[in-house]
Amino acid sequence: MLRYFLLSRLLRVFIVFFIIVLLNFLLPRAMPGDPASILANEYNLPADTVRILRSTWKLDRPLYEQFFAYLESLFTGQWGYSYKYYPRTVYELVMERLPWTLLLQGITSLTVSGLGIIMGILAGWRRGSKVDVSITVSAIVVYAIPYYWLALMLQYVFGYILKVFPVAHAVTPGLPHANFFEYALDTLWHLALPVTAVTLTAYASYTLVTRNSMVDVLEEDFIFVAKAKGLPERVVMKHAIRNALLPPLTMLAIRLGHIVGGAVITETVFSYPGVGYLIYESIIYKDYPVLNAAFFMLAITVIAANFAADLLYAVVDPRIRYVKRG
Amino acid sequence: MSSIRREIYYVLIANKFGLVGFSIILAFALVAVFADHLAPYDPYEIVAPPYTPPNERFLLGTNDIGQDILSEFVYGARVSLYVGLTAPFIASLIGTMLGLVAGYLGGVVDEVVTGTVDVMLALPTLPLIIILAAYIGPSLNNIVLVLAFFGWSGFARIVRAQVLSLRERPYVEAARAVGASGFRIMVKHILPHVIPLIIANIVLSATSAILTEAGLSFLGLGDPIAKSWGQILRRAQVGHAFHQGLWLWVFVPGMGIALLGAGFTLLGIAIEERVNPRLRFSRK
Repeated sequence: MLRYFLLSRLLRVFIVFFIIVLLNFLLPRAMPGDPASILANEYNLPADTVRILRSTWKLDRPLYEQFFAYLESLFTGQWGYSYKYYPRTVYELVMERLPWTLLLQGITSLTVSGLGIIMGILAGWRRGSKVDVSITVSAIVVYAIPYYWLALMLQYVFGYILKVFPVAHAVTPGLPHANFFEYALDTLWHLALPVTAVTLTAYASYTLVTRNSMVDVLEEDFIFVAKAKGLPERVVMKHAIRNALLPPLTMLAIRLGHIVGGAVITETVFSYPGVGYLIYESIIYKDYPVLNAAFFMLAITVIAANFAADLLYAVVDPRIRYVKRG
Repeated sequence: MSSIRREIYYVLIANKFGLVGFSIILAFALVAVFADHLAPYDPYEIVAPPYTPPNERFLLGTNDIGQDILSEFVYGARVSLYVGLTAPFIASLIGTMLGLVAGYLGGVVDEVVTGTVDVMLALPTLPLIIILAAYIGPSLNNIVLVLAFFGWSGFARIVRAQVLSLRERPYVEAARAVGASGFRIMVKHILPHVIPLIIANIVLSATSAILTEAGLSFLGLGDPIAKSWGQILRRAQVGHAFHQGLWLWVFVPGMGIALLGAGFTLLGIAIEERVNPRLRFSRK
């Protein structure tokens, strides 16, 4: 059964991957003008250069040959040149931005899931109480708040009025840092508002999922038995939590897959130099090679994370893999 | 008829979530319908110098080209409601149809539909929507179609699971025994039992449709002609609203999105609780 499960999931991963690659290949080619002529127009390149670019990218070959060439370049990191930052390559740009995104997203993933799960456990444990209602209702309201809006309002209050936190960039531009410690402090200071904005809005979905999962688990027989034999509340809670954590942890695993794409809108609001901001720029300047590369990278990690979440589920909860479907 | 009236009573009046959620939606719907009368100015018309601070003639001030922000906000309710209702509705039509057929017929049809749904659910939706919107070009209906295209799989899965259990019920068997056609059984006997669940999910998906449209507009991928709340926020961000001290320019449209979104979620939860009593708040 485990093998059937693995094979069917692997098949799905490959289909999804193929769709993504195909889309990434076809979309730019459906646009007017090929990448070489767009570059030529933008930077007044000589005709020879254009011809060389065309033949390197095999734009003069039939579609299927282009596709194989495309696949090859994809996996060797030759993602072409940025239209906006020409002659810099897309690969360079993306790799330069990636660390910032990983930092911001890594921290927010921890704070978001941490806060969300704790609130959800509290609400589920005291189901129907005032605590539950207030946590759940506030989570519902918060869930609908656009996080970039909260980010903007935080900028206004803490950046423009109180002037205690910076509203843009990842480090103070032009400021020489005496040592690593100072640099790290500056970085954290710049992270304060983006992390707060994302945490205060994104925690809600974790809370709602954890609460419902907690409520489900608390109705099971083993909890009833645990209570009946007089175990202290703390111990019963521990048993319940361990069983209730699976759904929120799966959500976290899937979230981790989205990390490399950065939080496009958050990074845009704070001009944070991550991949998300790069994606935004590439949308505005119609920098399709960058857009495609970022999308490709993101797609790969999302697929990998989904697959990992599936496996996690199957390993932690053996009941899953015995259910053939539905 | 009275049973429907009773359901409406339980969801909209007896349930606090439902009552609050419905009131919020109703308020915004009235604003949207009577936008022509409520908005003090034409939102496209330049009525004052740019960046006029709020005063008694322009309650929220004017934007970077001198349009009245309050009027923009009033008309924005139309866009959000339109996207929030149409995208999930179209998605539910496709999803319900496929879920019904897959669940009832089983076999190869089921395999194909379930396989497609699995694939759709594994696709990275938001990045895909962003890249598609960037290529297809900004238009409100394109956004609705893209949202619907990525929304139907959830409906198909829910409906299919429901149909699988319904089709084994004795009354369906009885219908089959007296010679009712598969189509008739699906539409007349199974569909009515699935509809409450579908309505709950349409209402619940409205929130994410509204948020996604606002997000796309904020990124500059929305319809530049439609006056949506996300679009107002974008103008405020690009036009440096805070430097001008015009914080209401940002505050009000965001509140609109958050309130309307919360309204749909509350109503959705109320309907879902009614449809699926296991989720109810009170102790057993």
